[in-house]
Amino acid sequence: MKILTTAKKVVDVELTIHVENGAIVEDGLQYVINAWDENAVEASVQLKENNGAETTLVSIGSGDNTDMIRKCYAMGIDNGIHIDDPALEKADSFVFAKVLQKVYEAGEYDLVITGKQAQDTDSGQTGIILAECLGIACVSNVIAIEIIDDGKIKVSRLGDMGTEIVEVVLPAVITVSDSINEPRLPAMRGIMMAKKKKIQVMDLAGLGTSYDEVGGGSLKSEVIEFMESEKRQGGQKFEGDAAEITAKVVDLLVNEAKVF
Amino acid sequence: MAKVLVIADIKQGELKGSTAELLSKAKAIGAETAVVAIGSNIESLANDLANAGSDTQYIADDASLELFSAGPYASCVVDAANQFEANLIWFGFSEGGKAMAPRVATQLEAACATEITDIVLDGDQIEVMRPAIANKVTQKVKINTKRLVAVIRAGAFEADEGISGTENVVKLTAPAADLKAVIKELVSDASGEIDLADADIVISVGRGTKDQAGIDLVKELANDLAAGFGSSRAMVDGGFMAHNKQVGQTGKIVAPTLYMAIGISGAIQHLAGMNGSKTILAVNKDPEAPIFNVADYGIVGDLFEVVPILREEINKIRS
Repeated sequence: MKILTTAKKVVDVELTIHVENGAIVEDGLQYVINAWDENAVEASVQLKENNGAETTLVSIGSGDNTDMIRKCYAMGIDNGIHIDDPALEKADSFVFAKVLQKVYEAGEYDLVITGKQAQDTDSGQTGIILAECLGIACVSNVIAIEIIDDGKIKVSRLGDMGTEIVEVVLPAVITVSDSINEPRLPAMRGIMMAKKKKIQVMDLAGLGTSYDEVGGGSLKSEVIEFMESEKRQGGQKFEGDAAEITAKVVDLLVNEAKVF
Repeated sequence: MAKVLVIADIKQGELKGSTAELLSKAKAIGAETAVVAIGSNIESLANDLANAGSDTQYIADDASLELFSAGPYASCVVDAANQFEANLIWFGFSEGGKAMAPRVATQLEAACATEITDIVLDGDQIEVMRPAIANKVTQKVKINTKRLVAVIRAGAFEADEGISGTENVVKLTAPAADLKAVIKELVSDASGEIDLADADIVISVGRGTKDQAGIDLVKELANDLAAGFGSSRAMVDGGFMAHNKQVGQTGKIVAPTLYMAIGISGAIQHLAGMNGSKTILAVNKDPEAPIFNVADYGIVGDLFEVVPILREEINKIRS
């Protein structure tokens, strides 16, 4: 079985983000692997360990993604591809999906595993669009994957009415929730081995396509401005005798906030 | 003129509030409105769908549509969107909506935007606002296509009480089942429980509740208030609460009238899921807990002491 996993480098959401003149201030930002993609990497490596599989990681984005891909190697990923092209700076989900389609078609994969969304955009579209473009099965928000045989897997999806148990014919795209696993911390041996492994870096031409062919010339949507989100202000905080302050707060809920 | 198709939010045969919220917004921007309802034994909802503010009701009612399946459900939406010639296709915030929207957009060659908090029309030009990076920033997004498929964030639009529509039912043919992704079973984990997405009051527990006894203590308060009962990620990871109870960036996004955070420190991912609530009450013994930075009312204290008093005081008022 050949598994393709995606990983996006995103800003660390724990840090303070500043906006100036409609753009995010890049200075002082730190970048990490998208948390849900880390769950996707862990899920791929677990399938490899339990069932045998060849695992390939692909990351799209301009700049240096070496550290992130090496981290995934150290977790157990076999091959790494970095699509590094400055043209992709303003790409929307459809463009990313088209690029992934090219990568997929070059590798004859059985299963694609992605995080259910990226922490920087919180869009949650790319994996689903990829499956739609490829005309293959897709299940999103998955919390468990089990291999049935070479052509079939069983997944659990967190839906609106409960957990859906879905039998999926391969090839397929699965997007995973962070509830699926706890990503491992790479062992020292893995980290040392990862340093020696090669990363395949290529631009869109190297992938056999162009920015126009993946839809870059006719973006369906564009972010034209960033603003700092309205910050909620803390209100009144009470300390002291529990009975007294609790009664006071209930009084405020009734007479000030009027929620009861 | 804008034509808005709203995907009806139906749970256990009942039409949920987000449908009227989305239709109210559609009417407020002067759009023609239609709704598409998908499920089994739902034809009786036609009147409710009209009353929620729609002037055409596309209904796909078939036994094969009893359980959610993203492929066939999305096909119904595409069918309705084409028949109505909708240029705006709106989903309420739900796992189903998030799974369908990118499929529908791809099939309609439309743009797709999720977690929308506002939408601005200027002639043919569409712009939307949406939070990103765990709600630390807001993006203004320009839509370059004539059609937009959008998932609206919980609490973004308010229902207009005075809204009405007209009943005009169009039946849709049920699409073929998705043979590549077959639902074998639905393990329902919330039968009879209050739905987090709809609840007027949501009460969530965090690490401070420690164990089952702590959770049960808070649960009593939730039961009294008929409140939705949620959780921080810590209690889900600890195995105390079900996955579908997690409130946050990656779980449920809620915007109730009153949100009570009990023993929750307030990690950024949790805040991203509840900071749209009208009023927030936090109980935590750590006065420096970040949850107090967003709470309208904060009680610094031991929740095991505070919660029973809170319950008693609230019951006193309500009786």
